[in-house]
Amino acid sequence: MMGFEEVEHTADKALRIFGSNLTELFLSAAAGLTHLMAAGVSDISTEIEKTIEMDAIDAESLLVEWLSELAYWAESEMLLFKKFRIQKATATHLQAKIFGGKTSMFEKHIKAVTYHNLKIIKTSKGLEATIVFDV
Amino acid sequence: MFQRHDFKQIDRHLFEVPAGYRKDMRVPARFYADEELLKGIITDNSLQQLINTATLPGIVKYALAMPDIHQGYGFPIGGVVATELPDGIISPGGVGYDINCGVRLLATHLDLEELRPYLDELATILYTNCPSGVGKGGNIKLKAGELDRVISQGARWAVKRGYGTEADLERTEENGCLAGADPAKVSQRAKDRGKGQVGTLGAGNHFIEIDVVQKVFNETAAQRIGLCEGQIAVQIHCGSRGLGHQVCGDYVKQFQKMIPRYGLNLPDRELVCAPLSSTDGQDYLAAMKAAANYAFANRQVLTFHIRNSFEQVLAGKVSNHHVFQIYDIAHNMAKVERHRIAGKKVQLCVHRKGATRAFGPGSPELPPVYRDIGQPVLVPGSMGTASWVLVGTEGSMAQTFGSTCHGAGRTMSRKKAKKTIHGATLREELEDRGIHVRAGSMSGLAEEAPKAYKDVDRVVEVVHSAGIAKRVAQLKPVAVIKG
Repeated sequence: MMGFEEVEHTADKALRIFGSNLTELFLSAAAGLTHLMAAGVSDISTEIEKTIEMDAIDAESLLVEWLSELAYWAESEMLLFKKFRIQKATATHLQAKIFGGKTSMFEKHIKAVTYHNLKIIKTSKGLEATIVFDV
Repeated sequence: MFQRHDFKQIDRHLFEVPAGYRKDMRVPARFYADEELLKGIITDNSLQQLINTATLPGIVKYALAMPDIHQGYGFPIGGVVATELPDGIISPGGVGYDINCGVRLLATHLDLEELRPYLDELATILYTNCPSGVGKGGNIKLKAGELDRVISQGARWAVKRGYGTEADLERTEENGCLAGADPAKVSQRAKDRGKGQVGTLGAGNHFIEIDVVQKVFNETAAQRIGLCEGQIAVQIHCGSRGLGHQVCGDYVKQFQKMIPRYGLNLPDRELVCAPLSSTDGQDYLAAMKAAANYAFANRQVLTFHIRNSFEQVLAGKVSNHHVFQIYDIAHNMAKVERHRIAGKKVQLCVHRKGATRAFGPGSPELPPVYRDIGQPVLVPGSMGTASWVLVGTEGSMAQTFGSTCHGAGRTMSRKKAKKTIHGATLREELEDRGIHVRAGSMSGLAEEAPKAYKDVDRVVEVVHSAGIAKRVAQLKPVAVIKG
């Protein structure tokens, strides 16, 4: 089972994400972030494709990197991604193709993805983490 | 959740969680509140976050929080942590992503009655001239290499380009430029994010607000500052935009690798840090200063847009539409300062995250015009409520490393605010109260509703009573411009 839900946070935004393995967890995280940034935005195209390859010291850092990449394109190029194809995901390496398009508006500006209390935990159903975003 | 017996009352408005509360605390954690604010403080994770900061290497005296404390990430918002040099740490998360988010207060020679016929038009023109909202770029085109000059020189760069005056610089913290900023320590990605955003407001809780001075509490200080009852003033609340966000993110990430090198045992990875004496610490400080300078330049260019807007709407229609600067102050910053500890002056790295510097009278860092009254402190309220002008005191120097509150402080989550408050209805309510609203997003407006914040008057009452700032004037909003 994979997915995400928004959880309460006084000042910022937080998402609980879950998936049966790292690939699903990363896909849930990307879908959750797009939802936060663009819940009210319709017609996101998939005409722009980008290849992502990144390394990090551990899975939590990789998760922050992955989401930071999406937030970066949103802010710098007004690019929203809605289709994600993860080709390889280990605890320290991620390879993916992402598909999206230009938008003229966002629901929410994500300033940054934080490490606050970030821990990918094993559950009976797979993996889970809660991510706090500075907004 | 915290219970009353977990902390003790030190003074009427000062509480302390003793250092023995948790094994890894190096110092006690102190926070300012009254009984009403206390109820909110113990219900979210802000005290837990404050206690986490009490574990940081090199921390001196106390981990502190102002009465507007609320849950953030890593540090609580409203937190103040001072570490002793040379080996005390500097923490990018202790400054936050919006480096040098701050407030600038401008004032005019107008009163509300003179402005009223033009207020609605002025709000519209301000919204048009001051770019705001997600992804909205500015209209300042930087030449190749010019961004490096922006982040090296701060507001001085803007003044050189004709966006302000020497008097503006004199009335800005650090004259609008932190010395020691190094563009080479700022990543290309940060520069890419920042290059098109100079002179933009952004979104979230950032705003431009036209206010009227409702009440003066300290005539001498108000006169010196240039405020009187009935006068129209303007506040700008924003920071270093994407450049600052990226600088913080870059160094939080980079420092994760250093955790073993510096033998850090952190309760939260967002608190990651490096000794200020290390190359890593110095690199972050130089990059943070560059981002802080960007923010000073940003508020300076917005000031230019505001002056143009006043000119555009009011020239020839009112007696004097001149807009002059009162002060500009950061509330997300780490600075190396000298403070007295156990009778000795020592060098400290003071982190203020959602807290304002509040230096008392006589501080050499203050411009001559304010040196004998103490530094002006600008405390914006939530949308539709009062804002405050205070001054720093001897008390803030003695108790809080020259720091005080920065705003009202949130009390309701954004999720709940969005669910329970309707943006368009809120806008109507504000308009009914005579507050003109221009906002890019109704859901964003709902998240910033007054109900989502603590009572700013109560927060100010606490800092005033505790002696860590002194009331000067209360401002009331008449127009709000938001992204």
